[in-house]
Amino acid sequence: MMSLEVGPPRASLLAKASIWLVKYAFLLLFGAMVIYFTSQTEVFLTSSNVLNILRGSVIVLIIALALTVVISSGGIDLSVGVALDFGAWFAIVSMASWGLPWPLALVVAVFAGSLIGALNALLIVGLGVTPFLATLGTFFIGRSIQQIGTGGGANINYRQAPEGFVALTQGSFFGMSMILWIGIALIVVYFVVLELSTHGRRISSLGMQQTAARVAGINTERYRIWVYVGSAATAAIGGILLSSGLRIYTPLAGFSYLLDGIAAVFIGASMHRDGRPNVPGTLVGVLFLVTLGTGLDLLGIDFNVKAALKGVILVIAIALALLVSQRLPRVEAWFDRLGKKSRA
Amino acid sequence: MRRMKISVGRLQDRLKGDRLLGVLVRRGPLILFGLLLVGLAWRAPNLLSPSSIESSLIQASPIAIVAFGLALVVIGGGDDVVVGGIDLSIPASAALATAIISDQLTNQQATFLQAFLFGVAGAVLVGAVNALLVTVVGLTPILATLATYASVGGIIKVLTTNRRINVEHPTVVWIRDESLLGIPIPVVLMLLTFAALALLIHRTSYGAKVQTVGGNLDAAVSAGIRPKGYVASTFILAGLAAAIAAVVLVARGSGMSPGIEERLLVDMVLATFVGAAFSARNVVTVPGAMMGAVLVAFMSNGLILNRVDNSWVDGWKGALILIVVTAAALQTRRSRQ
Repeated sequence: MMSLEVGPPRASLLAKASIWLVKYAFLLLFGAMVIYFTSQTEVFLTSSNVLNILRGSVIVLIIALALTVVISSGGIDLSVGVALDFGAWFAIVSMASWGLPWPLALVVAVFAGSLIGALNALLIVGLGVTPFLATLGTFFIGRSIQQIGTGGGANINYRQAPEGFVALTQGSFFGMSMILWIGIALIVVYFVVLELSTHGRRISSLGMQQTAARVAGINTERYRIWVYVGSAATAAIGGILLSSGLRIYTPLAGFSYLLDGIAAVFIGASMHRDGRPNVPGTLVGVLFLVTLGTGLDLLGIDFNVKAALKGVILVIAIALALLVSQRLPRVEAWFDRLGKKSRA
Repeated sequence: MRRMKISVGRLQDRLKGDRLLGVLVRRGPLILFGLLLVGLAWRAPNLLSPSSIESSLIQASPIAIVAFGLALVVIGGGDDVVVGGIDLSIPASAALATAIISDQLTNQQATFLQAFLFGVAGAVLVGAVNALLVTVVGLTPILATLATYASVGGIIKVLTTNRRINVEHPTVVWIRDESLLGIPIPVVLMLLTFAALALLIHRTSYGAKVQTVGGNLDAAVSAGIRPKGYVASTFILAGLAAAIAAVVLVARGSGMSPGIEERLLVDMVLATFVGAAFSARNVVTVPGAMMGAVLVAFMSNGLILNRVDNSWVDGWKGALILIVVTAAALQTRRSRQ
C-alpha cells in the first residue's frame, strides 16, 4: 500500500531528471568544457577572449547556416567552401584589378559565389544528379578554376583595400564589432525564413517527405533551386568577410570550414525535438566547435596534435549528439512504462 | 495496308532510334571517356607504349584496391549516395597504414610482415569505428566517414609530424622494382585482391547476402538476414583493402609523403562510380571498380604526357565525375518513364 502511494511521484521526479539530463547532455558537455578550459588557462573566460571566440565564429556560422537550410531540405552541399572562396576571390579581384568601388565589388562577389550554387541547382534539380556527387563535382571544378586563375594557388594580397571594405569586419557600430552585427543579422534572417515562415516549413517538408511535399502542391523544384543558390550566396558573404578581415585572398581556404559547418548542423539537429536541423541548434553547435578550437589553442597544444584532437572530439560529439536524440524517446518510454507498472 | 506498313516501319525506326539513344545514354560516360583517351593518345602517342601502359597499370593498382573497398561498402549499403553506403575514409585509412608501415620499417626496424600487420590493425580499426558509428550509433555513412576521414587525417599528422618518411627496406624495393611472370608486383597485388573480393562478393552466399542488404533492405530482413552485421563487415573489409593499398603506396612512393589521401580520394570516387557504367544495370561492382581505376590512371597519365598543367587535372576529374553521374541520373529518369 505504502509503495503504491509513494512510487509514482518519485519515479516521475527521477524520470524528469533523467530526461532533462539526456536532453541537455550536449549542453552539459559544453559547460564542462568551458569550466575545464577556464581552470586550465587564465585568459579563457576574459571578455576579450569571449569576444575573440564570437568574432571567430562568424564565418563558420555563415557556412553552417547555409548548410542548415540545405540539410533541412534533405540535400548536402560539399561545394560551400568553393562558393566562399569565389566570394573572397571576386571581392578582392574586382577592387584590385578591375577598380570597382567596394559596394559594387560585394555584389560581384555574391554573384560569383551564386554561380556555383546555380551549377549545383542545374545538376541536382535539372538533371537529377544526387546532391552529394553533384556538389563533389562542382567542388573539384571550383578548386581547379581557382588554381588555374591564380597560377597554381598563389595568394592575392590587397593591402590598400578601401576603408569601407575593411570596416565590414574591423569597424564597429554602437560599440560592437561590425562582423558581429553581420553575424547577428544573418542569424535573424535565417531564423525568420527557416523557423517562422511558411517557406521554411516547406523546405523542411522537402527533407522529410519529398514526394508528399510535391503531392501537397509545393513547387519542390523551385524551392530546391533556391536552396542551393541561397546556400552558395550565403557562403560568398562568408568569403567577403574572410577577405575583408585579412585583406588577402588565399585559394582553397574555404574547405576547412566545410566539416565544422556540417558538424555544427548535426549537433544542432540532435538538440531538436524531432532531430531536425534548426537555426538555434546550429548556433550552439558552431559556438561549441569554435570554443573547442580556441581552448585547444590557448592550452598551447601542438598544431598537428590539435588537428587530431579536434577531429576525434568531432566524431565523439556528432556520435553523442545523435545517440542522445535517438535515446530520448526510449528513455521517456521506459519511464512511462515504469510509471504504469508501479501504478498497476 | 500500305499505310499500316509504313507506320510499322516508322515505329520500328523510332524504336531503333530510341534504343540507340538508350545505348548512348547508358554507355555515355564510357564513350566520352573513350573519346578523351583516344584524343590524349593521338596527341601523345607514347601513352600506348609498353612502358607507359605498365606505369599506368602500376598507378591504377592502389586506386583500384581502395575502389574495391568502396565498391563493397556501396554494394552493402545501397547506392543512394545520401543515406546509402559510402566510405570516404578509405583513402585516409590507406594513408594511415602507409604511415604506420613506413614508420615501423624505418624507425622501429621491424620485419616487413610485422609492419604490415601493424598497418592492417590501424586501417581495420578505422573501419571498425566506421562500422560502429553507422550500425550502432546510426549516423549516415557519409557523415560518419567524412568525420573519420578528418580525424584520421589529423592522427596521421601527429604520427608523421607532417614530414616525409623514407623507406629503403629490401621488401619494399622488391615490390617496387620486381615483377612476377612479367607482371609488376603492384599489379599482381591488385589482381589478387580483385580475385579475392570479386569472388567473395559476387560468388559466395555471404556476398549474395551483402548484395541483398544493399539492394532491398526489406526483402533482406524478411528473409531473416540481420543487416547490421553485413553492413559492418563491409566497412571492416574496406579497412583491410586500405591496408593492402598501403603496401603498394609505400612501395611506389618509397615511403610516406604527407597529403597522399587527398588525391586518392578523388581517384577512388571517380573510379568506383565511373566503373558502374561497365555493369549491365549501371550499378557499382568490383570488376567495374577495377576497370574504372585503370581508366582513371590512363587518363591521369595521358593528361601528364600531354603536358596539361597540374591545376587543370582536378577540373578534368570533377567534370568527368559530373558527366558520369549525370549520364547515370538521366538513365534512371528514362527507365522510370
